[in-house]
Amino acid sequence: MLTKPNMLVVDNDVAILNKCNSLLLSRGFQVSTAESSKEALQILEKYHRDVDIMLLSLELPGLGAMSVIEVLKKTKSKILVMAISTDCGEEAIAAIHAGAYDCIRKTFTTERFWTKIDRAVERFTLARQLEILKKQRLSILKKDSYDEDTMRTIMNTIPEGLIVTDHHERIVFYNSKVADLFGLQGDAALGLPIEKTLKNADLVSFITESMNLSRSGHSSVHQKVGSIEIEGLTMRVLINSIESDDGKTIGSVSMLQDVSQKKTMDQLKGDLVSMVSHELKAPLSALLMQLSVVLDGLAGDITTKQKDLLGKAKQRTKRMIALVNDLLDLRRIEEGKAVVEIEPLDLGEILHRSIDIMTLSSKDKNINFDVKIVENLPLFSGDRTGMEAVFVNLISNAIKYTSTGGRVQVELKKSGKDIRIKVVDNGIGIEKEDLDHVFDRFYRIKTEQTKSIGGSGLGLYIVKRIVDAHRGTIYVESKAGKGTMFIVSLPLEK
Amino acid sequence: MAGQKILIVDDDLDFCEATKLILESKAYKVNLAHDGKEGLEKIRSEEPDLVILDVMMPEMNGYDVCVIMKADPGLSSIPVILLTAVNQEMFKTSFTKEMGLMTEADDYIAKPVEPEDLVEAIEALLKGEE
Ligand SMILES: Nc1ncnc2c1ncn2[C@@H]1O[C@H](COP(=O)(O)OP(=O)(O)OP(=O)(O)O)[C@@H](O)[C@H]1O
Ligand SMILES: [Mg+2]
Repeated sequence: MLTKPNMLVVDNDVAILNKCNSLLLSRGFQVSTAESSKEALQILEKYHRDVDIMLLSLELPGLGAMSVIEVLKKTKSKILVMAISTDCGEEAIAAIHAGAYDCIRKTFTTERFWTKIDRAVERFTLARQLEILKKQRLSILKKDSYDEDTMRTIMNTIPEGLIVTDHHERIVFYNSKVADLFGLQGDAALGLPIEKTLKNADLVSFITESMNLSRSGHSSVHQKVGSIEIEGLTMRVLINSIESDDGKTIGSVSMLQDVSQKKTMDQLKGDLVSMVSHELKAPLSALLMQLSVVLDGLAGDITTKQKDLLGKAKQRTKRMIALVNDLLDLRRIEEGKAVVEIEPLDLGEILHRSIDIMTLSSKDKNINFDVKIVENLPLFSGDRTGMEAVFVNLISNAIKYTSTGGRVQVELKKSGKDIRIKVVDNGIGIEKEDLDHVFDRFYRIKTEQTKSIGGSGLGLYIVKRIVDAHRGTIYVESKAGKGTMFIVSLPLEK
Repeated sequence: MAGQKILIVDDDLDFCEATKLILESKAYKVNLAHDGKEGLEKIRSEEPDLVILDVMMPEMNGYDVCVIMKADPGLSSIPVILLTAVNQEMFKTSFTKEMGLMTEADDYIAKPVEPEDLVEAIEALLKGEE
């Protein structure tokens, strides 16, 4: 139970001073009084801790009430100030602004007085309780070691599930989240083997696997990450093995985090992207045909100006189609399908076909193609779709970022244990500071030269993801104004 | 050979209209059908030299039309180009293997398609006919 706050009344009007004093005393408050601000400050200096609420007249002569309030503020005092004034006008507003809690009129009735004081007391008490709670919390956390109860309380407040096992894979601790998830009552499950208590085969095998891995000393990082489905929820599981000082595996700690919501959101986002992309394809197909009909004069003669505008419209349409395809590729990759199917591939044939597609669409740019494909290369085990995407993106970039009449070299050969694809152009090149970012998702370089070139900044991101999925590497070298070279190395043996 | 008959089966009227004009400019005779059922009827009644089949259509989808055609000795020799809005990449891998082989379509093209590419594919198939 908290004690009543201590009062200090400051007023040079002795009638008011006495009235306040006797009212407060009648309800059992401890009261001190002062008749000037100077006297009040002296009391505060000596007995600061003994004053909780101060009734302060705003009509004090000399230093005045404001200086008292200032001092309180400067010393970060917790004392609550209730101003007393004739009309609670301008000066009261200023006082409240400076930190006073409220104002009471000199002409107060007993009833009015208590309404105001009660509120102030309540306010003060609340603030003090908060303060005490804060201190208590700090003192708990500052302890050097925790007793079991404290520990349990802490573990039960975290939203994640927590399971600790010993080296026989028996449960030694679990928090209330885990109890909820697996319907465990009280401490009943303690000491039992995990397969008897954790009714989720995936989780049990995750824990067993991570312990075995740790025991065999095979993994340097004794942490396993996985995901399980339980009660319709998707939980991310993080398992760490515990080792004694001499390196023996003595148990495991598993953390279960609910990621259902995130998963649903990701799914929704992905579904939306692919739905919109597919829906866009039908109108884009029609549009492309219609523009071609008009451009080819099949719907009547058109003027040069019309032809020019429609030609641009067709270009824009094609860019939009490329974007839609990129988005669908991206969706596929982010679903973890960078590699759909591994089969032995003749990369030479795939490259030839990709170049055919590209040269067709670049014929008006008059690019000089130089293609060297070494014959009889060994077959490469990879994903056909992915490889096509790699070639098409690198070559289309080389064409796109090279001006009319430029040169693009493509080379495919075996190099050591790798198959190596090199795409070189003598185009606009890439500045050093951009070079680190070209593989980032949606990264596009904005310069005078690239302004008019369309794209979504997805191409190289997709390429990198596919190459990574094949355990390959991609390397880029470039000089602004001179040209760019991309080299992809794909290991023949995995 | 000019004057050959092509049947386009697609429920997108705008696409049909424009594609018809383009193919007619290449001297083909073009007929249209707007769903799978109508398509199959016209394939039987008009005996086209080549069929362009959209995959996603009401009544009967393009795969089914193709399967029925290829199982019918009277129709199985007519070359079929399947058109689909399924992603080009997906189309080329999983589709070719599963649906393509099953339906025995002669070629498959992803929508949107460049007019030149479509014409090229048609020419290749009709040349093979002779
Ligand atoms: N061969 C190149 N020469 C010069 N700059 C290049 C070359 N290849 C890529 N870049 C730069 O890297 C950026 C990223 O390329 P990326 O292929 O990822 O996207 P994009 O070509 O802009 O769009 P898209 O998604 O259509 O491929 C490009 O915007 C371009 O500025
Ligand atoms: Mg690109």
